[in-house]
Amino acid sequence: MNAKQKIREYLREQLVNRRDTAAIDDNESLFVSGRLDSFSMMNLVIYLEDNYQVDFSQLEFDVSLVDSINAIASLINDYP
Amino acid sequence: MAIDERQWFVTFVQTGAGKLLLFMIALLAVAPHFSFWPALLATGAAMAMGLQAKRRSRILFAATWSSAILTTMLGENDTLDNLLDVMAQERAIGMPAEALAIGWLALLALMIAAALYWARRAPHSILARRPLVILLLLLAVLCAAANSELSQGRVRVVLWAGIFVFTPYLWFLPFAVMDMRGRQGEPLMHQMGMLRPFWSPTYLPFGKGAAFLRKHVATSPAELAVTHLKAVKLLCWANVLYGLRSALDWVCMERLHIPSMPAALEAFGAGRAYPVAVAWAAVILSTARYGLKVAYWAHLFIGIARLAGYRLPRGSWRPLEAQTLIEYFNRFHYYFKELLVDLFFIPTFFKVFKQHPRMRMFFATFMAAGVGNALWHFIRDINVVATQGVVFAFSSFTSYLFYCLILATGVGLSQLRANAGFRPSLKWHGRVLSFLTVWGFVVCMHVFSDESRSQSLEQRLRFMASLWGVLEWI
Repeated sequence: MNAKQKIREYLREQLVNRRDTAAIDDNESLFVSGRLDSFSMMNLVIYLEDNYQVDFSQLEFDVSLVDSINAIASLINDYP
Repeated sequence: MAIDERQWFVTFVQTGAGKLLLFMIALLAVAPHFSFWPALLATGAAMAMGLQAKRRSRILFAATWSSAILTTMLGENDTLDNLLDVMAQERAIGMPAEALAIGWLALLALMIAAALYWARRAPHSILARRPLVILLLLLAVLCAAANSELSQGRVRVVLWAGIFVFTPYLWFLPFAVMDMRGRQGEPLMHQMGMLRPFWSPTYLPFGKGAAFLRKHVATSPAELAVTHLKAVKLLCWANVLYGLRSALDWVCMERLHIPSMPAALEAFGAGRAYPVAVAWAAVILSTARYGLKVAYWAHLFIGIARLAGYRLPRGSWRPLEAQTLIEYFNRFHYYFKELLVDLFFIPTFFKVFKQHPRMRMFFATFMAAGVGNALWHFIRDINVVATQGVVFAFSSFTSYLFYCLILATGVGLSQLRANAGFRPSLKWHGRVLSFLTVWGFVVCMHVFSDESRSQSLEQRLRFMASLWGVLEWI
């Protein structure tokens, strides 16, 4: 399973926990649209820190960095 | 009433007659809650913004600042009332209060424009990176100067006038600074228009800042039509809630003679306590009235913003369905929660306890629901510092601080429980249990969050103990 698939699985689990079983598009906004809340965003941050060693304190954090599956995948790929 | 999902309505509101009808309904829905001219200005400017996308920034700027100047000149906001109180205290008779406030407003606008310009030019400067810390320090210095022995009479009046004009903008500025630092940041005029925008001239940024609005703007005529229909629905719903609150007042207070909570607290303190059932009814009624007030004002503000073409989430969304405390916090007052998350939770989260995930989440939640919440309310009531002194301002705030402490602990634990996998039951008895737990907590905490400053924390604790029949224990 590649990183993008793992992230999709992780986010699907988060959405199911909120009783949202609708499909997720890779470009779809998750946080700005309100499908997931800011606390879920912070859980995602912890997940990315733990699994992909992304250090958000070194980045200018903006919700657009993690707002869609594609944005998260780019973040992981581009992170040094 | 899913009129925004019916094609006939969506098509109709894109016609001239449809737009006129929308405007009239919106004006009728907004007018009872404001003076006539602010209602006309807000509704008219919002419709104009929605329909004139290319002139959006100019209309926003013109409507926001003309509204600020007019309300100050006509004394239709708190600034002049607070200023007149300080003038009376200092016996500064004959000082032109309106001119003083307008002068400060003009100076403030210039200073904000300069600060935002600087944030764009120097995104790594301390002002651009830590706007809230700088603003809070500035406010603390101004308050210390205004309350010092050195400032008396007219000097004190002038300083407090500056503080009263400045504080309502305090929570809007960090959002503007953060957006100015970004590559996609809106132009200066747009940012200036977002400072206490004409649809919600309060202390709380309904619609957050320009960055949030940019992500929610309607981009096609059909999308705008749907947003307009949702706006009108929300404005009408606000009036239904307002009516419900009036009906509740009439039935409970005038017919059943249930006292207000401050009255019940005062009677208890004076040794004339109401029977326990009546005191409970007073607390529940007061919680319900507060909840309805928060909801209908949020709906009015967001309804007007939607008329301006912004597809914003509601300010309060079915709070009675909250099954956990964290969900209640999310649903009840969305934009207040967002302010606390953006300005307190996220900065804390990225700085502390990085090796301890649970502690990190709990502490960041605590900083938002506790510290941020307390700071926002204390600063909103800064006039108490001016008129009654620092000691009274803090001592009469201890009950609210206690409320923040308990709320923050409760929300933090609720967050940890959710992360540990706890999911409330969706069966009817599970929902009833969740409702009783969440709203039982909210009702009990309302005894301490009630904003009348006349009763001490100790009196409120004793009152709470009397409600539970355990007064003799303390």
